Amino acid sequence: MLDWLKNINKEHPDFWKNYLTKFETKPNRFVVISTETSGLNPEKDVILSLGAFGVVDNNIVIKDSFEAVLLQYKFLHDNNLSNEFIVESKMLKLLEEDALQGLIDFIGNAVLVGHHINFDIEMINAGLERLDCGRLKNEALDVDMMYRKLKDINDKQFSLDDLSEIYKIPKSDRNSPSEDAYRIALLFLKLKSRLGIK
Amino acid sequence: MNTIAEHIADFLKEYPPFNNLSFHELSDIATNIRVLNLEKHSVLFQINDVLHDSFYVVANGTINLTTIADAEETILNKCHEGDIFGLRPFFAKNNYMMTAKAREESIVYAIPIAVFRPFVANNSDVLNFLLESFAVNSRHTKDTVNQGSKLISDTGYYNDQQTEMQYIQTLTYNNSPLTTDQNSIVKDVAILMTEAMVDNVVVCEKNNPIGIVTEADLASKIATGRYPITETIDKIMSSPVVTVIENVSLAEAQLLMLKHNVTHLCVTKDGTSKSVVKGIISEHDLIVAQASNPGVLIKEIKRSQLPKDLKQIRDRLSDLIQNSIQKNIPISHISNIVSEINLAIIKRAVELSILDLGSPPARFAWLSIGSQGRKEQLLLTDQDSILIFEDVTSEKYRDVKDYFLRLAKRTTSILEKVGYDYCPNGHMASNMLWCKSLTDWTKQYNSWMNTPGENSNDLSSIFFDYEIAFGEPKIEEAIEGVIFKNATNNTLFFDFLGNDALKKNSPLSFFKKFIIEEEGPHKGKFDIKTRALMPLIDSARLLILSSNIKGIKNTYLRFKQLAITDSKNAEIYLSCAEAFLTLSKFRTLEGLKNDDSGEFINIRDLTKTDREKLKNALTPMKDLEELIKSKFQLTQFS
Repeated sequence: MLDWLKNINKEHPDFWKNYLTKFETKPNRFVVISTETSGLNPEKDVILSLGAFGVVDNNIVIKDSFEAVLLQYKFLHDNNLSNEFIVESKMLKLLEEDALQGLIDFIGNAVLVGHHINFDIEMINAGLERLDCGRLKNEALDVDMMYRKLKDINDKQFSLDDLSEIYKIPKSDRNSPSEDAYRIALLFLKLKSRLGIK
Repeated sequence: MNTIAEHIADFLKEYPPFNNLSFHELSDIATNIRVLNLEKHSVLFQINDVLHDSFYVVANGTINLTTIADAEETILNKCHEGDIFGLRPFFAKNNYMMTAKAREESIVYAIPIAVFRPFVANNSDVLNFLLESFAVNSRHTKDTVNQGSKLISDTGYYNDQQTEMQYIQTLTYNNSPLTTDQNSIVKDVAILMTEAMVDNVVVCEKNNPIGIVTEADLASKIATGRYPITETIDKIMSSPVVTVIENVSLAEAQLLMLKHNVTHLCVTKDGTSKSVVKGIISEHDLIVAQASNPGVLIKEIKRSQLPKDLKQIRDRLSDLIQNSIQKNIPISHISNIVSEINLAIIKRAVELSILDLGSPPARFAWLSIGSQGRKEQLLLTDQDSILIFEDVTSEKYRDVKDYFLRLAKRTTSILEKVGYDYCPNGHMASNMLWCKSLTDWTKQYNSWMNTPGENSNDLSSIFFDYEIAFGEPKIEEAIEGVIFKNATNNTLFFDFLGNDALKKNSPLSFFKKFIIEEEGPHKGKFDIKTRALMPLIDSARLLILSSNIKGIKNTYLRFKQLAITDSKNAEIYLSCAEAFLTLSKFRTLEGLKNDDSGEFINIRDLTKTDREKLKNALTPMKDLEELIKSKFQLTQFS
């Protein structure tokens, strides 16, 4: 009957405790994040790679970035998928737990920004659950929502490509979560100033 | 090192000074970059801002570097993709001397000075480039582009010099002032002033100024009856007179006038009242000097001695055009002013050639033809001109023609140095064919107009737009007479012109899409000159010639006039007039953006509203085409 109490007292990993303490202060930084996943189901699918940039004072800080390919050997094997892209990638390769820990350390209390960010957050939360952590506490902004709010459109969603087209952000032929994150970051800067968000 | 840093390094390595660095070094730099987005018209830094810790590279868009003088924003430079700016923190400690403002929505990379400094120290090529960029004191002109690097100046020194240059160059004053001695009678002096049409006279004792009498003195001391007009001048003069040295700057002169509360300054040899009077500076001279206004430009053109002076003025004209367009001054206004200035430059070029070659052996007229003839030249386009000289006896003919050919060659080469390219079709007075006597020209026009098509290689419609730039106006009138006499009821000629006007390909496809170039260097762009402007220009010329209306040379005015003369089609004409202005504006903006003739427009770069605007400007053409077809019964040809 008191099972839920057990859960509450369950020991979280140190990095998660550290993460929670960061929320004692107000965020002064945005983190733009983009994930590449194996599918759309947070229960079954996994994050394959992710990219993130810090945005401070209307600047995308290139150095303030985090990107990684996740070594999802088990998932790929179970689903009979090729792991070629992992081998080919020049990005940092990490096990899921290391990648998520790195990401949590990186984002801290920042406001997260993404394109359809709720899905990214669900995917991360699913991963965090496997590591005995809680759910992300960060505030989040969605560039699609921002755009629709700006234009007062309610009946339509815009893909990242649509938005890039609208704001003339050059598409890159190479496709990685880092590049998506960078494009989202540019969109975010443009939308942010138009919406007058500080 | 992350993926995006790599992309940025890839971008930087294309541009100086970064092309002198290894990819590894660039990656280091790129990792430390911050990326900024600037909304249109937002300011990155402005005059007197504390220096930033970074300098900037334009990643996308355009940044204007401006300075403010007399509440007037002057553009020093435009930075395009790959250009660097904001170098001041490298070399100086005091605040920014210019304003960096986004001309359109732009993305810039901020490179921290601290990160870049070691590369500067270790690489002399990089250092040199930065130094040159910082210290260059010439305008961003064609010359610097030809050197393969676009140097963007960024110094206060440059600023000061810039303003000073403008000031000194344009602060012209009366250097033969009216003088009189102290015993002159007021009435005599007043008569003298009226005759010389000046508002002041310097009272001198042995050529040294002891006082000045202005209209204000006459009004307050004589007209009031305080002194009789038979009084000697020294009783009513203002004394002592404020004196300055010869090469006083505008700013200095302004200060002195304010300080002493006077309207005139007396220029003397050593700047004191104990030396010879050299001139007089009036408040009016200062006003004239302050703005780079068209009047001043024309004045300066008249005084220029060298092609390079003219070129410098023409460069300033480009800024004037750009500023005017930004301030939304109507394009018809701007093109009027610009044409006057272009005309003055051509005139001066002819004058300079005459100064070199000696006076001409016969009267002649230098006519600008084509776009300058129509007063529609906003950008630096190529030069088109003809020369007509009066008839001379046959034994003198050879020498006379020889002189005028040399004159024309010289003039066209001066104009080329100023920045007007030679006409690729050779439609210039320096061409044997287009430099001949009035009789020959009359024959030429007769044959063009009465048997068009037979020697059609020669016939270009630009010969029917002309404007006298220099010489005898009677000659222009004579040619105009010939043209209009031949035009009367000349169906054949109008058929020819009509077909010529209509043969240009239409700008929009059946589905109202822009027809863009399918091949060649301008693939994917819209040819606004051939597909949109030329048909309007050709049609307007045709209609105005056939209606026998003289003296209206501008396409816009031609349509306006046609709307009055042929009132039942007024609506079509008026929409064409508006369309012409809109299209000209598009072309000019494109040309200014790319420093070219603006002939090709990249449709994809336009905003949606601009695209619609452009499309709307193209719609009246269909009606105009129908009108011409029915008016000249062209169906049998087309």
